Amino acid sequence: MNIKMFLGRRSIIAFIFICLTGILGPVLIEGNPQDTAGAPFAYPIWWNSRNLPASADFAFNEKGCGFEWSKLPPAVFSLMGTIHADPKANVKIIWRTPRRKYILASLTGQSVYWLNLDGRDMIFKQFLGLPLIGKSVDFLFPSKGRYSLEIDGAKYADLKLSLPGQRHGLLGTDQRGRDVFVLLVYGIRTSLIVGISATVIASFLGMGFGLAAGYIGGWTDTLIMRAVDVLLSIPTLPILMVLAGIWGKGLWQIVLILSIFSWMGTSRSVRSLILTVRESPWIEGLKALGAKRSYILWRHLVPETAPILLANIALGVPGAILSEAGLAFLGLSDPRLISWGRMLHEAHSFGAFTEGAWWLLLPPGLGIVLLCLIFMDIGRYLEEQIDPRLGGGGRDA
Amino acid sequence: MNKSWLLRRIFSSLAVLAAVLVLNFLLFRIMPGDAVSTIIDPNFSPEAKNRLRALYGLDRPLIEQFFIYIKQMLTFRFGLSFLSRKPVWDELMSRLPGTLALMSSSMLLSSVIGIWLGVKASLNRGRWIERMVLRAGAVTASFPGFFVQLVLLMLLARTFPLFPLRGSMSIPQPAGTSAIIFDYIWHMTLPVITLTLMGFGGWALYVRNLMVRTMGEDFVLMARARGLTERQVVYGHAFRTILPPIITIMLMSVPGLVSGAVITESVFSLNGVGTFLLAAVSGHDYPSAGAAFYLLALITVICNFLADVAYGIVDPRVRIEAGNK
Repeated sequence: MNIKMFLGRRSIIAFIFICLTGILGPVLIEGNPQDTAGAPFAYPIWWNSRNLPASADFAFNEKGCGFEWSKLPPAVFSLMGTIHADPKANVKIIWRTPRRKYILASLTGQSVYWLNLDGRDMIFKQFLGLPLIGKSVDFLFPSKGRYSLEIDGAKYADLKLSLPGQRHGLLGTDQRGRDVFVLLVYGIRTSLIVGISATVIASFLGMGFGLAAGYIGGWTDTLIMRAVDVLLSIPTLPILMVLAGIWGKGLWQIVLILSIFSWMGTSRSVRSLILTVRESPWIEGLKALGAKRSYILWRHLVPETAPILLANIALGVPGAILSEAGLAFLGLSDPRLISWGRMLHEAHSFGAFTEGAWWLLLPPGLGIVLLCLIFMDIGRYLEEQIDPRLGGGGRDA
Repeated sequence: MNKSWLLRRIFSSLAVLAAVLVLNFLLFRIMPGDAVSTIIDPNFSPEAKNRLRALYGLDRPLIEQFFIYIKQMLTFRFGLSFLSRKPVWDELMSRLPGTLALMSSSMLLSSVIGIWLGVKASLNRGRWIERMVLRAGAVTASFPGFFVQLVLLMLLARTFPLFPLRGSMSIPQPAGTSAIIFDYIWHMTLPVITLTLMGFGGWALYVRNLMVRTMGEDFVLMARARGLTERQVVYGHAFRTILPPIITIMLMSVPGLVSGAVITESVFSLNGVGTFLLAAVSGHDYPSAGAAFYLLALITVICNFLADVAYGIVDPRVRIEAGNK
């Protein structure tokens, strides 16, 4: 096999790139991918962003502060921090918009106040006299102009006004405000681990059964091949769903479940190869020289199946990745485990459709497609190397 | 039709059915705890727990359970659903027509379109139609079906609201029979179209390969030499010989079709056996999950059997060969 040509193939370069991203990405990205990074359903920063505000934080001391606002309202209005004051004094926090002023809080009777106000809070909305259904930010940010926060009667204050915008990161955020790009990078690992390990296990199972069926023959052969026929004529997804439902949805359980139900193809092709090789003259010769069965099996038949096995692994990975994504899409995966299928599940179940949040849908889906195409291409290349007659796919079948 | 051949087919279908039954029995016995542990409250008294176990027959020996289970499965008495407390059979029967309609219409459409495109591609070697068929076959194999469906759903139901976002009926239901039928078709259009879109590529590729091989054979040359029209050569001679393999691929595509229908029902929130299975699996409703899985496997077995029989009808060699034995 020509190593230089192999490495020069586009699919191999893409595969190496994706692997590196999957391994290095989680190391380089700081923080937990499950943490909230911005407002829910924030757009990607480069998309349709002329009027949408980016996330902004403002720090205030007891004097208060003002700023200019020229965009649409932010996604969330939240004010946090501490205020120290004389217990007898009445502390008022006033939010001045270009239209009118709101008293956000009126505090008295303590020397220290901890504030945590959120515009989505029903009680806070009621306190402000805003409609309970609807977004409070539309009233707190009614138009362009100068906004200011004033604090009356405080000795000392340390407040932070957080205004998560509707723009965040390379690929926006999901329904919980997590960064989609970070999730995407973390998802690579799951897809690769599940896809590759399930296929490797399945291929070895298939090789074992195929060798047994082809070399031992007789009843073993009949039994294994009947089992293959039966397993191939049962719909896979329902059985995978039932198994994932009862056995558990962890990463390795899914790997195991997938590999139990995908060894059949490999065992068929290994068996047919063994059947032809078994009758060949050089095996006859070995037998005549007095070679033991186990010697023939391990030294001659197993190496003979290796190329088929390699191509089978590469061609089988897309199937495993698709199955895993399908299960995760149906919600039958560990909710704590970030995977592309899980991302699609959450996009489908938690309102990405009503929000029109395409950035929750396209990146994981296209990622799955890309990985599958890469493995198909590698597999086809390996197959061509094994059997040059297959070369150039598009010509006569 | 030849009797012994038919008997062999029936026997092999029954073997698959038996395997499904055993698998279905074992699946729900190898899990941690037992099937009623999810509906047993820890505060139940031991008597109540035992009564519940006895109600579901879990206090008997495994072998006895197995025979009771086989009897139940063969007579379609699946018991009560844990979730809805209604007979599982009624629940399944109210959902089965929807699933069958989805599966059969998409299978019909994708096979007809695929076969037609495949034949056309094989007659137009090297033209755009052949290149399109080759590409479609390769691309649809590596696209997760549900992703394509999600994208089309977002595009055609959200961005351009031509189709409904979810469900197999409008709520409230429209009045009048014709309005209900129209409403149902409107809801089913997008699922069927997307399933067809995912399926026709493989069909076209397969038929094209078969046809290319057949068109190079001597009997086609002979037919041409006899002065038959191209139409007669293609459809009367070449196409007829590839019918048996087409039926084989139909047989082999049924399990995939069932899987596709399950996931399609989830994407479009259709009311069908697939969504019922999913709800049962995620809600630990074991009687329902087992019954739904059994029903889906049964559909596959029946379809396989029908395809086998059709194969025998289309390919005379099968009958003659079997008759000689």
